[in-house]
Parts: sequence; structure tokens; C-alpha cells
Amino acid sequence: MNPLQEHVQAITRRHFFGQAGLGLGTAALASLLPQQAAQAAGTGGVARLPHFTPKAKRAIYLFMAGAPCQLDMFDYKPELDGMFDKDLPESIRMGQRLTTMTSGQSRFPLAPSKFKFQQYGRSGAWVSELLPYTSKMVDDLAIVRSLYTEAINHDPAITYICTGHQLPGRASLGAWLSYGLGSMNDELPSFVVMTPTWTGRQEAQALYNRLWGSGFLASRHQGVSLRASGDPVLYLSNPPGVSQEIRRRMLDRLAKFNQRTFEAIGDPETRSRIEQGEMAFRMQSSVPALTDTSDEPQHVLDMYGPDVQKPGTFAASCLLARRMIERDVRFVQLFHRGWDQHANVAGDLPKQCKDVDQPCWALIQDLKQRGLLEDTLVVWGGEFGRTVYCQGKLTHENYGRDHHPRCFTIWMAGAGIQPGIVYGKTDDFSYNVVENPVHIHDMNATILHCLGIDHRRLAVKFQGLDVRLTGVEDNGPVEGILA
Amino acid sequence: MKRWKWFVLSILVLSAACAHADEAQVDFNLAIRPILSDKCFVCHGPNDEDRQAELRLDQKDSALGETLSGARPIIPGKPDESEIVRRITSDDADLVMPPPDTNKSLTAEEIEVIKRWIAEGAPWEDLWSLRAPKRPPIPSVNDEAWAQTPIDRFVLARLEQEGMRPSPQAEKITLIRRVSFDLTGLPPTPQEVDAFLADQSPDAYEKVVDRLLGSQRYGEHMARFWLDAARYGDTHGLHLDNYREIWPYRDWVVNAFNRNQPFDQFAIEQLAGDLLPEPTREQQIATGFNRCNVTTNEGGSIEEEVYVRNVVDRVVTFGTVFMGATFECARCHDHKFDPYTMEDFYSLFAYFNSIDGGPMDGNRKDHAPVLRVSTDAQQEQLAELDRQIAALEQRLNEPWPEIDALQQAWSQQLAEKMAAPEDDESSRLALGDWYTVGPFSENRRYLFSKKHGPEGKPVNLEQEFSLATGAKAKWEPRPEWKDGTVHGELPGELSANFLHRTITSPSARKVTISLGSDDAIKVYLNNRQVHANDVARGVAPDQDTVELSLEEGKNDLLVKIMNYGGASGFYFAVQSATETVPEEILEIVRLAEDERSPEQQTKLRKFYRDKVATADALKKARDEQAELRKQRAEVDRQIPTTLIWREAKEAKPAFFLKRGEYDQRGDAVSRRTPTALPPMDPDLPNDRMGLARWLVDPSHPLTARVTMNRFWQQVFGAGIVETAEDFGSQGTPPTHAKLLDWLAVEFIESGWDVKAMMRKIVTSATYRQSSHVTPESYARDPANRLLGRGPRFRLDAEMLRDQALFVGGLLVDVMGGPSVKPPQPDGLWFAVGYSGSNTVRFKADSGRDKVHRRTLYTFIKRTAPPPQMSTFDGPSREACTVRRERTNTPLQSLLLFNDPQYVEAARALAERTMRHGGSTDAERAAYMFRLCLLRPAGQQELDELVQGHADDLQAFRADDGAARKLVEVGELPVPDDLDACELAAWTMTANLLLNLDELVTKN
Repeated sequence: MNPLQEHVQAITRRHFFGQAGLGLGTAALASLLPQQAAQAAGTGGVARLPHFTPKAKRAIYLFMAGAPCQLDMFDYKPELDGMFDKDLPESIRMGQRLTTMTSGQSRFPLAPSKFKFQQYGRSGAWVSELLPYTSKMVDDLAIVRSLYTEAINHDPAITYICTGHQLPGRASLGAWLSYGLGSMNDELPSFVVMTPTWTGRQEAQALYNRLWGSGFLASRHQGVSLRASGDPVLYLSNPPGVSQEIRRRMLDRLAKFNQRTFEAIGDPETRSRIEQGEMAFRMQSSVPALTDTSDEPQHVLDMYGPDVQKPGTFAASCLLARRMIERDVRFVQLFHRGWDQHANVAGDLPKQCKDVDQPCWALIQDLKQRGLLEDTLVVWGGEFGRTVYCQGKLTHENYGRDHHPRCFTIWMAGAGIQPGIVYGKTDDFSYNVVENPVHIHDMNATILHCLGIDHRRLAVKFQGLDVRLTGVEDNGPVEGILA
Repeated sequence: MKRWKWFVLSILVLSAACAHADEAQVDFNLAIRPILSDKCFVCHGPNDEDRQAELRLDQKDSALGETLSGARPIIPGKPDESEIVRRITSDDADLVMPPPDTNKSLTAEEIEVIKRWIAEGAPWEDLWSLRAPKRPPIPSVNDEAWAQTPIDRFVLARLEQEGMRPSPQAEKITLIRRVSFDLTGLPPTPQEVDAFLADQSPDAYEKVVDRLLGSQRYGEHMARFWLDAARYGDTHGLHLDNYREIWPYRDWVVNAFNRNQPFDQFAIEQLAGDLLPEPTREQQIATGFNRCNVTTNEGGSIEEEVYVRNVVDRVVTFGTVFMGATFECARCHDHKFDPYTMEDFYSLFAYFNSIDGGPMDGNRKDHAPVLRVSTDAQQEQLAELDRQIAALEQRLNEPWPEIDALQQAWSQQLAEKMAAPEDDESSRLALGDWYTVGPFSENRRYLFSKKHGPEGKPVNLEQEFSLATGAKAKWEPRPEWKDGTVHGELPGELSANFLHRTITSPSARKVTISLGSDDAIKVYLNNRQVHANDVARGVAPDQDTVELSLEEGKNDLLVKIMNYGGASGFYFAVQSATETVPEEILEIVRLAEDERSPEQQTKLRKFYRDKVATADALKKARDEQAELRKQRAEVDRQIPTTLIWREAKEAKPAFFLKRGEYDQRGDAVSRRTPTALPPMDPDLPNDRMGLARWLVDPSHPLTARVTMNRFWQQVFGAGIVETAEDFGSQGTPPTHAKLLDWLAVEFIESGWDVKAMMRKIVTSATYRQSSHVTPESYARDPANRLLGRGPRFRLDAEMLRDQALFVGGLLVDVMGGPSVKPPQPDGLWFAVGYSGSNTVRFKADSGRDKVHRRTLYTFIKRTAPPPQMSTFDGPSREACTVRRERTNTPLQSLLLFNDPQYVEAARALAERTMRHGGSTDAERAAYMFRLCLLRPAGQQELDELVQGHADDLQAFRADDGAARKLVEVGELPVPDDLDACELAAWTMTANLLLNLDELVTKN
């Protein structure tokens, strides 16, 4: 359905509401937004969605922007021991294209991870010493080591994984979810984005609003940024000197004026505007209630670690993510930057891992303890992987890694996902996938599947095509990791 | 989704096409092709690769012929014998078409209409939009009195066919507000409303329309729709997303609409202005259209891949904007729905691939090729400075008795010295001319540490360097550069320039040089670094002293000057000047004075004055000249540039790219237009100029229709073809096909006169209808596709903000110039920006001439567009957009409630009201209401405003600190002669009015 048709549909629906409740005051109007929506479907989604009973009602996506080093975190390669500074065999590289940051290097010396690995849990997953907390929860995770993509640079790659296309202009995953499934909540947006701070090198890859944009879908489906400083949601606070009582009064008068306009002209859009004003007013109290974490017990705060007290950190953002999930926000996405270790893996990567390790663990525990993990999906991962060969100077103590699209590791957990498995395998150099390859479209199809959506049937006509998040190739959910 | 789509289609299109079964036949293009396209073409359409059973339902011969198996898909007149009917109605899951797993099953209505069409003889027509429009006959209507213009007859005929009636004319106030917004993007003033109300002449409305069309605001308003389509932005859009300077193109578009440039010329200049004979500066600026695509300079990018993306974007934008064609589909495979092949795509690619510059933007604002666009004032300044510099130059060369006397003494002394046996000729140095190359741009943190251009290698004056802009640079000789003076004309900010000269010494020896630089400097002698100073400073003589250990014979001196911002400069001198008198001068000195030719005399004088003399008067004149040169360089540096298209000297070969992959080259392709469209006149040059002229040839079926459809959409909220971006089989069929053809033919025959066409649209009775909705008319046609009422929808982002500033009396009507940054919440850029980007931190402008400009001039950072735009569906300008959505969200309410700019506008409106709106609350409320809504307030409305004001006033009186805080929002000075509580309370009333549905909507 194209956006204008969607608009027509929306106002039609409101028109029917209007017929039922003509002349209602603003308080009654609020009740027209169904509270019972907190069941599977939500309001404002596409008819006949979800396509089947979903395992997950909501999702959290912990995006590691810049591309984490799979070789130093999850994809253990003992075969590289003793191959330090040897050349990457051509039989492995097979002429694969490289970025121009290393394509000029005279050789491609192997850089085995300097970090120690160990097996954990019943699944026996290998995890490096950089992730002590993650290693404690491997039996909750499905670790997928065989993700791959085609894009080789950050901007196209992150745009690709987040919107299904390497160039700007398409709708993001969260926008698709909002469009398809609607909202479960009448006082918070259905798709919220946070961009927490990071402690690795501060010169980090950019993000782009398009990563949570609505593309060709209506802009109300775009992710709403929850900010750590200033207004948490743009323009949430009244102007200086304007109290909530004055605002309330203004809204009541506004509703009267608009109601008269509606009666005179009859445009259902007018009624919708009254509703939106009311929701804005509700957000003025629901958002501060969301971000005020003073009601969290100490043991919960402790679980997330000391950073949870610092606004804007990854830990603080994870806690807010849980609070949003509790309030039935459909989709929460965190973009943690600083994972682009072209150099100084030894110095930078431990800091980045420390930022996220404990909070990720805490988030999963927290969700589990509240029974929310049963119907919430959690995804962790970046836009591509990093090379086994060194970029720049190679020593036993330190090295750098270039972009590598042919394999990388992510994990998924929670609703719809089989816990405690390791899926897919790469070769001895973590260069090529040798077992169970998972394209990024497959991963997105898997996410949609968990939320009750057949990715082939969630399509919108755009520029003459049925555009889908998962592209035109034959992709599909990864059965091997589904519960 | 599908169900809804068919709800709309069945109401709007099928009804038009076939509901009146008694009279009308099923229209193939309106009713049948959309079904075949959407449900069948994927396997039975234009795409060779996916075609099943060799059946093409996009071609008459195939569809009405015989399939491989001998079946006859469609037998005209015999639906029951037609194979496709058998298949679409089959219960057998293996036979039924479309196959159930495609999710494309037909609805009962669709099956019914296909059967009817076959029964009626299966009349076949080519895709409507690929046939050139012909002037249709004006339909006859019953209500002749209502239908004032041909447009109205087309609209009314359709309404009457549906048994519907048009709405009466809107009230005059509604009408003038509507048309003012539609032609200028701004509301009228109350005075303009009064004048219109008072004007009882029959053409009062037309007079208003003509006034609006003549206003400069018209071009600003029309331009912004075009800028969405042209994907104009102020940053590159990818990766670093640095500043890009191309606003002169934006101003060109505004100006083109204002001077009513015929649309064919408008198209030609943007697509091929550089290929016009002796293109004017303006015509070159117009070519910025093809430079607005997003670009990158991401480290590690593969140049060929970026090049292909850039060109693909241009082809796709060209197709969407001018032809409503979805060429992107044909990038990786033949189009599945429309008759465009991959071959067509790459043949178009070949028109757009040969730019005289590289694909990587270098993170620079002036990614080559660019044009420098000086203002008149700048040109005058430069001319004046040149005049002064020349005057001083002349003064420096004139006879100057006291100095000439000193010269004579010096010359004599030198001659004597040379004659003396102890003069060691071998000690004299020969300094070669200076050469320069640059600027090499770089991030601040790497500028000093990294090697650039010729650094660290033996200098080769023939070598060509690639600059980050993609431009090529060679060593340029600077014979005019004198030692001992400051040179202030090195180009580029945040960049490195290199200077080179040879020093020939008869023997190995040490010599001391004196240097100055703006900013940092490195010196290499014979490829060895001998000096480095990482400082930020302005240039002056003798800042650094370096001892050079010269080898015997030729020595290579290479100097790197790094500029960290602002102007850049350089100074050089050898400390003992007499050692450096060149042989040529020595020869003159050896001659007796009367044996020297005038030319030699001049040369000697010049050398003496430039390199030897120390007289104060001379120094003063020279310093003055240096200062003027510096000023000139500064003025020069501030001249804006704009990205343009300049064709490379040799066309770059283009290739068929398999699956659209940049590295999967197939055969070379040559330029040609798509075969499904009329061929290009063979007399036209086969380049972008030919392409542009082909596009605006009257026989072209798409250009005029697509353009008129967009103008229609601009005014009525939706186009006659709702999918303004897609006129192909998958687009929505036109609601009024004949009207669109009529508009297209009128447009072409008017000489592509945009103002004339806008005038026709807004003077139609159709446009002037009231927008009131009755439940019946709403149920019949919720989206008003049949135009039985006037257009009513929320104002666009730009109109909303402009209106608020306008009614507050704040709007500054300065036109053009660099984009401005009105305030926005902190941190929006920083939250996403690349740390090294020059747009990572947003700094709001200050001053009313910056923050209260029309929204058209607001700076657009494409990876984090201004929330005042994006919250109200303004596109990010990353990709071509010819149709905005129109949403209604709580975030919009929050913005209108609380954005400091809207609050400031309310505060200004409050002050305006208190000063000019009378003395009683009732008078003031009435005044403010009128300013905003232009109609007089009703008694109930007035009472509510007055009561509301009283309530707010009471609240502020109880807390005057709060009142104070509210009235301090924004840039305006707080008036000390007005009661702050009153002002605050009126500000809240204004805040209310600025949020009214009636105000934020075009009624």
C-alpha cells in the first residue's frame, strides 16, 4: 500500500471512530485509542498482521556500529596459533575484494587474537576473556557465527543491514515493524532509538537518521530518538514558564476550537489532530516517568554496573530499554559506536567490550526475571566483520583489522530463538563461511518471523516494485536457530 | 493491504471504467492493465529471464495469440473459452493462476472485470503513458454554468458520470488564503484580504492570482518542490557528511521560477547547461541538478563502485523527475512491468558518466568540477584592490631619485667587487623559480603527520597529482614570486600546499634561509626533512631560520605549508642577499651605465628594489602592497563555489553491468534513449544536450504529463496519477486521463509556460470549491480523488514555520545566499555525526536576518535533517522525492506547542497585538485572531479567547517569574514598556492560535 492510500485508510478508520463518538470531550477521546491493544496486534498496523501467532511481541536490537572483531570475541580460531605474521593463503582469500585501506598492502600477515578463549555453558560456546559476563549467559543465546553481507564500507553496510538496501531511501527495520504491527501503547512511540556513549577511540563512524528512518513509509513510523540530555523526546518540555496546568487549559481550549472546525468542515483529519495533541500531552508525563529510574531497586541497578548511573551510557540505555519493553514499546534499538578497530585492537577493543558486556548480561537477566524474555526478542551485532590479517603494524601485543563482509558473529536471544546454541561455522581463518551461511536479509527475515511476520508478505509498493525489507532474492528465516 | 488497495481502486477506477456497464466499456488501461501488471507480469511480462510458458501478457500478439502448448490465453468475445479465464477461476491448486504461493491471487471483482473485458472483445491498448498526449475534445456537461474552464468540464463530466455534484465556491477569505499558500507558500495579510473583499469586480480573484504570480515569494515556494525532486542538500549525505557548497543552484531554481523560464529551457539548462554554446554563468550553475546526488569519501571505498553509484543515482533521478519512470528496476534485470531493458538503463548511464572530476568528494565543499560565483560586491572589491595593487606596482617601478642613487652606488660597488680578484664567483648561488602545487586536503589530525602529494619523493615537475576533490593538479610555475616578500595567495582551508625550487651552488656549503608560514611548515632539502614546525600562526617575515647544507650543483628544496583555517601564506629569503645575485643581473652590472638597454635598466632596477634595497619608503610601499594582496586573497577566498557539471574531454566508456554490479562488466554500451519511447531526432547531438532536447520534444509522451501532474499534486494534494513517481504499469492509473492529456498539450503549446498553467489551475472552479465534507461525500470519495470538493490538507513543514514567523511579523524576506541555521535542540548532529566531520556540531546562527528567514533557506544536513522539516514529513534530501507524505503525529503537536521558534513567533504575535490591537482584551483577541485566521472571530470564539487570556494572566500574575521566563524565549529583545505578565498571557493565546487545525491546514 502506498503512503497516501495508507493515509486514506487511517482517516477512514478514524472516521468510523468519529461516527461512534461524535461530540465527545477530550477525555473520552483518549479512550478511543484501545487500551486492549496491548495484545498481539496493536493499533494502526496493517490488516491481517501478524501473519501467524508471534513468539515475540517486542524486540530490542543492540547495534554495535563500526563492526566488532568477531575473531577477538566469539569466533575462536586455535588453528591460527603459530601462524603469527604468516601470509593469508590465497586459497582462502580467492581474490576477494578488499577495501582500499589495505588493498595496497604488500602482504596480508595473519594476526591471531591475542585474547584468551574458553568454552562456557552447556552449549560449550567459545567466548573470549573480553566478555566475562556474556560468557555467563551463553546458554541463553543463539550465537550465529556465519553472518555475511556484500557491503564493504560502513555507510553502505549499516544502511544495508538496517534498511535492506545500501543506498538511502528505504524504510528501517523498526519502521517496518511499526507499519506492519502498529503500536501497543498510547503514550509512547512504538519505535525508540538511543545512541549511547562509548569509551573506545572517540573518532568513530557516523550514524545516520536514515538507519531508523521511515523511508517511503509514513514518517510516523520513524524511530523516535530518546536523548540522554535536553528533552528526552524533542520538544517534550513546555516552554520556560509554562506549567502543565497552563498547557492543559490550552489543550482544552484547542480541542473546543478544533471540534467546532470539525463540525463545520467535517474533515476527520481534524479529529485526529485532537487525538495527537492529547497523546502529546500524555507523553509529557509518560516519557519523564519512563526516564526517571529512581524507582529501580538497588540490586537491579547493581546488575547493570556502575555506568548505569551515568546518563547516556550503554548501561543506562539498556536499563531504559527494559523499562520501555515493560511499557510495551514495540521496538527499541541502541546504536553503540566505536567498534571500528583498524588499529589498536589491544587498546580499544577491551574498552568497547567493557561498555557493553555487563549491561547486555544484565538486560537479559532483568528481562528473564520479569518474564519478559518470553515474549521479547533481543539481537546483538554489527554491520560486518573484521579481517584475520593485520592492517598496519603487526606485533604480538597489538594489531589492527580491516573491514570484512564475508563473515561475522551476532547473537540473538529470547522469544522465538533456540537458547544455548552456536550456529554456523567459518574456516580456520574466520574468512569464509563453511557451514550454514546466514545473509543479513536472512537475519532480518528471522527477526520478522519471531514477531509473526512472513517477510515475503510484508511489502509496500514503491517505485513500481513490491519493496521488502529483505530484498528480492530468495531469503528466509533461519530455521536452525528458531525455537 | 491488498484488500484496501482494491477498495480504493474499485471505487475510483473500476467505477469510472466499468461501473456504468450500460454505457461504458471496460477501459483496458484503467482497469485491466493494472491487474495484469500487478498479478501477472512478474512471470508473463517484459522480463526475459523470468518469463514462463513464453506467454507475455504485456504484449497483444502474445496474449491474443497461441501459447507453446497451443492454448489461446485470450479469445476476444469468448471469456469462457479463454485459457486465462479457465486458469484464474480454477479450483485446482496446480492450475490456478496466479499460483497461490505468490500471494498474488485475484479477487472476485478482478476476475469479473477481466471476463467482462474479454466478453467486450478484449480491446487492447498500449500503456497509456507511453503514447504522446493528444488534445482531447472538451467533454460536454449538464451543469454548464458551474464549469467555467476546460479543466472544470473534465472534472465535472467525471462527477456527473458518478452521479455526484461539485461543491459551491469557497468563501472569499478561504479562497484568498488558499491561493496565497498555493502560489507563494505564505498566507495573505489582513490588508490583502480586505482589498479582495472590497473588490467587487468580476475578475477580483484573477487580480489576486496575478499579483501572487508576480511576487518573488512565488519562486521561493515553487522551488522547494523542485528541490525535493532534485535532492538538494547542504551536505554530501554519506559518511562524514561534510558541508557541500551548492546553494547558488538553489537560488538559480528560485530565480528560474520567478522569471517564469519556460519549462523546456529549465530542463535543458539543468541537464545540459554546460553544453549550450558559450554557457552563461547561470546556465552552468543550473547543471548543479546532476551534482545533487549524495557522495562519499569514506576511507576504503572502491572508486569504481562509488562512480557507478553516483551515475546510477543520476539516471534514476532523471527518470523519476522527468518521466515518472522507475529505471532503477532495470539496473539489475529487465524491468518486470514496463518495457525498459537493462540495455536501456546502461545506455542512459552512458549520458551521465563523463564528468570532469572524480567520484570521491574529498570531504570538500567544492568537489570538482565547481564554479566560483562571486557577488557583484565581491567583484567590485577585487577590481578596486587590483587597481590599488597596480598603482603601487607602478609607483615601485617609477624613477625614485634617492633610491636610484643608492642603486647606482650598489651597482658600482658590485661591479668593483666583481672586478676585484678576490671575488669568488663560486660562492654565488643560483635560485630557480618557485613552483607550487595544491591544495591537498586532509583531516586536521593527519594534515601534519601524513605524507601528501610530492612529499618524500624526488620532485618531478611533470608529475600530475589527484586532489581530494577529484580534480587533477600539476606544478605551476610562479616566476613572479619574489623572495623577501610575503605571499598570501595559497589556496584552500585545512589543506597542504607544496612549494619547490632548485638552488644551484657551485660548491658544497651551508647557507641560512629565513622563513615565514601560515600555518605549519615542513622543509625538505634533497628529499630529507630539514625543518618542521607544527604551529598555527599568521605569516610574517623571519619566523623560522633554517641552515641548509647544500650539495655542489643542483639542490631540490621542497616546502610544505599546512593551513589550519582562514588564509594561508609563505615567506622566504636567503639571509645574505648579495650572494644570490643571478648571473643575468651581474651581466648588466658589468656593463657601463650608458651601455645598458632600457630593458636591462628596468630589470636591474626591479632586482635592486625587490631584493636588495632597504629604504623605508620602498619597504612601506611594498608592505602596503603585501597587505593589499592579502586582502585580495581574503576576498577571493570568500567567493562561494557551486558544484556544476562539466563534461570530461573524452567520454568515459560505459558498460553493461551484470546484475548491476560495478565489477561485473559486460559489453560496452553506447548512448541511446530507451526503445519503448520515441527515438531521438538524428540531427540532435548524441549527448546530454540531445537527451534534454529529446525529453522536451512535443512528441515525448511523458515529460509534460509528469510535470503537470506534479503541479496538480502540489495544489490538490494528490496527482491525477497518484503515484507521481511512477507512470508505468504499476503506477496508479490516472483518475482523469483526458484532463491530464489536455493539461500536457496546453503546457507544451503554451511554450511550457509554468505561470500560465498554474494560473489555469487555480482559476478553475474546481480549485475554488469549498472543502467542506459531508458524510455522504466522504463515504463516496474519502480522499477526494474525484475532486467533488476543494483541497484541504495540512500545510507542509515550510509553510507552517513560514506562516508562524509571518503572522508574528518576524519573517525576513531576504532572498538567496548561503543556507542558514535557525536554532534547533542541542545534540542532534553530534548524536550521529562522524567525529571528524565539519558538520558534527551544530551551532545556531544568530541575528534575525539568519534565524527568521524562510524555511527554504534552512541548512539541510542530510544525515540529520532539521526537525522542523522532518517532523512534518520534509524529506532528508538523500534521494529524489516527488511526493511527500502527510502525517499527523503527537511529535508534531509537541513541536508546535514547544519549539522555541514557534514560541518566539507566538511571543512576537503577542507583542504585535498589544501594540497595535487596541486596548481592551476583546479588541486584542479579535485583532490576533484576525492576523492568524484572516476571518473575523465569532462571538463564542472571542469569548473563549478572552476568558483563556484572563485565566492565563491570573496564573502568570501569581508567578511573574514564570511570565518573565516565557517572554525571554528566542532572539527578540524583551520590551521593557510592556507588562511581562500580559505579554506572557497573550503569548499563550498566540500559541493556541498557532496550533489550531484551521491554521495548520490549507482550508
